[in-house]
This record gives sequence, C-alpha cells and structure tokens, in this order.
Amino acid sequence: MSTEDPVAAEEAAPAASRDAAYWAKNVTTLKLGEVPAEAVNLNVTGRRVVGPVQGFGKMWQKTMRVELRGADVSPAEVIKLWKAEFQRFWPERNWFYAPLEGIAPGEVALLNLGLPGRMKLSTGVLVLYADDESFTLMTPEGHMLAGWITFSAETSGGVTVVQIQALERTNDPLYELGYVFGGNRLNSRFWVQTAENLARHLGVEPQVESQVVCVDRRRQWRKAGNISKNAAVRTFVWTLGTPVRWLRRPFTRRRAGQP
Amino acid sequence: MPGAEFGAEVRSHDSTGVIDLRGEINLGADQALLAAYERAAQDDPRTVVLNFASVDYINSTGIALIVGLLARARKEHRTVRAFGLSEHYRQIFAITRLSDFMGIYADEDSAVTATVST
Repeated sequence: MSTEDPVAAEEAAPAASRDAAYWAKNVTTLKLGEVPAEAVNLNVTGRRVVGPVQGFGKMWQKTMRVELRGADVSPAEVIKLWKAEFQRFWPERNWFYAPLEGIAPGEVALLNLGLPGRMKLSTGVLVLYADDESFTLMTPEGHMLAGWITFSAETSGGVTVVQIQALERTNDPLYELGYVFGGNRLNSRFWVQTAENLARHLGVEPQVESQVVCVDRRRQWRKAGNISKNAAVRTFVWTLGTPVRWLRRPFTRRRAGQP
Repeated sequence: MPGAEFGAEVRSHDSTGVIDLRGEINLGADQALLAAYERAAQDDPRTVVLNFASVDYINSTGIALIVGLLARARKEHRTVRAFGLSEHYRQIFAITRLSDFMGIYADEDSAVTATVST
C-alpha cells in the first residue's frame, strides 16, 4: 500500500470522533478571561476541574424535568436561548458571568453565588461539553460541589421537555456539613427555580418533576484536605480584608501613577 | 448522521468480566449498560474491564453513566479498568478525571493482567 495514495492515507489516519467538536480540549487548569469590574474574581484561574469522583461527600444525582406543554419551541431553540441568557434564569442574588465566547466547549465562566447570611462565594465553571441540544458545566477545586451538571432538552410525546441533571458530591468536610444542614435542599431548590424561570419565560406555567438519588453513600475521607481550597472560606477572608484594601487604594493608585 | 445504537456484550477472560461496548454512549444506553454490568458481575469477579474499541460517540450524559457504574463497582469492592480508548476519549477521561479512578490500558491483555489496583 502506497502512503502517497490519498484514499489509503485517509483510511490509515484515525477518524475524528463525531463528538470531538463538542468537548473541551486540553484543559489542565482554568484560565478566566475578562470579567466585569463589579464581579469578585477569586478561586478560578489556576484551579483544576474536579469530577464527582474527586469530591468528599456523598454522591448525589439530581434530576429536574419540566414539560414545555403548549410552547411552540424545539429542543435546539430552548438550548440556544438557555446558552445565550443563562444568567436570566438563575434565582436572585446569584451571578453567572458568561465568557465572551458564550457557552462553548472549553470556555470558563465566573460565578458569584449568594450564600446564607448575605455571604458571597466566588468560583467558576468550565464548559465541559456543548452541542445543539445540551451543555455541561464542570466545577473547579474550591467550589462547593465536585461534579458536573447537564442542561438538555428533548422531544417526548410531541412535547419539548427540559432537563437539568447534576452528578455531584461536596468538595470538602465543611461544605458537606453545610449540605447536611440544609445546603442539599437549597441546592435542589436552586435548580428547580431555574427550570421554573425558564418555563415561565417560554409562557408555560411550570410543574417541575424532581428526583434526588444518593448514588454513593460513602464519604471519601482521603479527600478531606480539599478544604484548603474552600472557595467560601477564601471569599470570606477576602471580604474581611475589603476595608483594608479600600484604605490602601489611594496609595496603590499613586504608586501606579494614577490620579 | 445518526450513530450506531448502543450495545454491550459480556464475556469472561481469566476470571475477569469483560464488557465489549459499541455504538453511542448517551442517555439511551442507561439500561443496557447497567444490565451488562450486572451480567459481568454475576460471577463476582474482582475486576470488570470495559472495552471502548467500538464506541464511536460519548456525550456528557454517557460519561455520567460511566461514573454511576464506577460508583456501583466501588461499592461492591470491584475494580474497573478500560482499554481500546482512542486518543480523543483518553483526553476526555483525563479532563473529566475519570482516569484518576479507572486504569486505562492499551489492550485487553494488559487490562486483565494488571496487578496494580487503580
């Protein structure tokens, strides 16, 4: 067989997988692009992503489904809208700063999440996978959860059905404690509200079906050290330092040659 | 272009359960993948090996199915190994960090005979 034969060469070369364009590529650590000035940008750049097998707590699979009965919208149209306006459907006091390129494989978004007691958590997500009818976000070290969450739409019985499915476990013992004492319920409520907001935007009075299953009851104590990267603690410490940074700002500006 | 429907055959190799996977691993593969794992685990092998050589499409739901299978195997104190992954799927397993918990091998013999638990 001649290697100069283009047909033979094509046959010999490994064919690109049909899903290759939909997956993030060559991600080792996260790198965040420009973010708005009002955003708190901590705990993202330089972090590795963590899947459900790297976390600490019990592993949960959460599935929220809502039928868009009566809405004349295809699964691809729903996902296009969702990608374009992801922040709009989140519950109040939570911000998703979408990457400039939008929700596309390999892009990184900054999150500022509202916690109980008016606390804020700064973290991020990687767009792990995105096609026309679904997309998946994966969390970094320090995030409350280690895992990924998939947003998808499909046609079932002639009706477009939207689904949010998370596979997750808390990242460290502190988060796990919070999860046991109400965090798990609040997290499920967050995604139910998101599904409701999307359905209402499309003119549907939502009835969200919610299923929460514990996939693995064991806690991975060897991962307890993840607490050193806890984004809530780091954001809290950063917040405590705000007055000091504010007082030092004129001197910092002077050194930088600014008025 | 619609892809090949998911399928899985189970066989034994030196007391190890081997699952030959083929087609697309997506939401539709859920029941068949679970059934294949249960058949492979029937004789209570210490290791189950997944053969990805004939898999031509995996989406993120498919990866979640594999994680679910991994969690179940760990609960049953079984090791899961894989072989036949293309470079593309090796990268996906690295990004999703599945490869931290599932040994990836070049071929079936290496996967079956590996002594180091991964």
